[in-house]
Amino acid sequence: MTGQHSHMPASMLVRLAWRNLWRHRRRTVITLSSIAIGFGLAVVSIGIGDGSHNSMVRNAIRLGEGYLAVQPPGYQAAPANHKFLADGLSLRHKLVALHIAGTIEPRISLQVLASSATNSVGAGLEGMDPVSDPRVAMLKPKLVAGHWLTPGDHRGVLIGEGMARRLKVRVGGKVVLMAGTRGGDSQAQLGRVRGIFDSHVDELDDFLVLSDIDFARSFLVGEGADAAKQPVTRYSVFLDDPGSMGHWKGVIRNALAGEPVAVLDWQEMMPQLVQFIVIDDAGNYVFLSLIMIMVVFGILNTVLMSVLERTREFGLLRALGLSRRHLLALVLCESLLLSLLAVVIGWIVGGGAHWWIAIHGIDFSAMMGGNTSIAGTFMDPVIYTELSRARVVELTVAVFAVTLASGIYPALKAARVTPVAALRT
Amino acid sequence: MALLRLEGIGKRYRQGEVEVQALQDVDLTVAEGEFAALVGPSGSGKTTLLNIIGGLDAPSQGHVHLNNTELTALDEAALSDFRLFQLGFIFQAYNLVPVLSALENVELIMVLQGRPVAERRERAGYYLELVGLKGMMHRRPAALSGGQQQRVAVARALAAGPRLVLADEPTANLDSENAAALLDIMHRLSHEEKTTFIFSTHDPRVMDRAERIITLHDGSIAGDQRHQTHDLPA
Repeated sequence: MTGQHSHMPASMLVRLAWRNLWRHRRRTVITLSSIAIGFGLAVVSIGIGDGSHNSMVRNAIRLGEGYLAVQPPGYQAAPANHKFLADGLSLRHKLVALHIAGTIEPRISLQVLASSATNSVGAGLEGMDPVSDPRVAMLKPKLVAGHWLTPGDHRGVLIGEGMARRLKVRVGGKVVLMAGTRGGDSQAQLGRVRGIFDSHVDELDDFLVLSDIDFARSFLVGEGADAAKQPVTRYSVFLDDPGSMGHWKGVIRNALAGEPVAVLDWQEMMPQLVQFIVIDDAGNYVFLSLIMIMVVFGILNTVLMSVLERTREFGLLRALGLSRRHLLALVLCESLLLSLLAVVIGWIVGGGAHWWIAIHGIDFSAMMGGNTSIAGTFMDPVIYTELSRARVVELTVAVFAVTLASGIYPALKAARVTPVAALRT
Repeated sequence: MALLRLEGIGKRYRQGEVEVQALQDVDLTVAEGEFAALVGPSGSGKTTLLNIIGGLDAPSQGHVHLNNTELTALDEAALSDFRLFQLGFIFQAYNLVPVLSALENVELIMVLQGRPVAERRERAGYYLELVGLKGMMHRRPAALSGGQQQRVAVARALAAGPRLVLADEPTANLDSENAAALLDIMHRLSHEEKTTFIFSTHDPRVMDRAERIITLHDGSIAGDQRHQTHDLPA
């Protein structure tokens, strides 16, 4: 043994790799462009996917039961009119005492039969605060006739355009809402239609009846509840920061540990929406995989061509004393630089497009044909891209991992070069 | 004192279905500071012998002792390090790394040797000046003529401080003027630096400059004679 070993400083490795990358400027530019455009497309596509999912989730949460719901145990599996929180007032005090960063809305959900003079349909009566409930912001703009509920309106109801058509009622018309009681009797309340909304979500337009919470509460009183205790079906919690949902869920569960209540998050409340997003995400991942395959072949092609062209040069370097390890590192470094450039350019292209769409949005209403209903909620027709920090990291790491992996074969090929065979070429 | 000792070197390899005996029972000793030429017709085994001496190829039989190290006993990584620190190579063509300037090419081996920046800069500059390329240090190989590229290769081989320089047909691609200039430089540096040179050639101009001519024929040493050198015209 000589006792002396070769030494390749990182600066020399990077310098050689960088210059090698630009030997065939046009080839490198074409490869970089294809990777960057593919990567940019993936960024935009996933941004649109996440944007539409988040829009659906936000709408579902505002239309539905909030980020967190406090409701009777077993209600989720088998909803029934007689399942309610009898002492809503004390429960509300306990929730308010937690100083949750967000709002707490009382809700009463009942299954009723809505009848007019000409027809009857099954309906879901939702009693709410007609001012503060997030449904106001969602559905008030969708009113196509009449006006919104006013606080203290003990007769007024809002119905969807589909139900109005089936009941053949108009604004000002009467609708009788009838509900069965636990004992087998029935009770009814007369409602007067104050307004008709058209949300473009069939499940809402055909089924939903909105009223002031006190109107709906009269059915609970009929079930034996004490109106003074402000019974409710649930309290819906709307958080200022959706990311804090896990934290607040734990806090509320601990605070209400002794109470006969269930604390559920929106994913537990709307499993069908979660499933839809998972399936849609799977589609996005397939698209991302196709992009990755394109990236792999782009890098493999460029680096492998460049390795095959330089067989003699690698032989020379090996003859001069460069070790196999150094050649391996050199070619891997070339792949790494190529992927770094591709990711940077990809982020400039894709990030730029994402930034623009995140501000201006893309209007898909023509494609959706007026129906934006998906999985029981609706998607805003103008979609804004959204990318979370986790997504940015995920995309960047995926491209890096894939590009590095695609450089392994050419690097091994370069490292296998024997000086004599290579110099003979 | 013997720098290089070859004992019973043989080399066989397969070429398709045929087994070729490239070298047979080659015994050779080369002393420190010699300027020796390996001559012989094409296919006589000159390049194969140079490759074996340089540790680029392994003999089928026999032993190579170079500077008190038996090369045939070294593994690949150790051979690579041995080449880096003990040997200099000058090939017939495509000698330089195209993406590095003349200066960087000369520095490359010293970088791999782990020499400090200041030392390698100084040595690279010195040897490039010695081979007459002071003003062209920052040019890349593509901007140099064939003769100039070979001079850079000579500077690179010597700047790293090798005990032995192996040159395979170093003048084969050069015109007379460039060949003469290159030989002159190599000869001068051999004497000034006390570096041992062994080169393969069939170029009579090179043979004229060699102090020892070893003739190979059909893979065996057919002649080994000391030679009175003739100075080339300036």
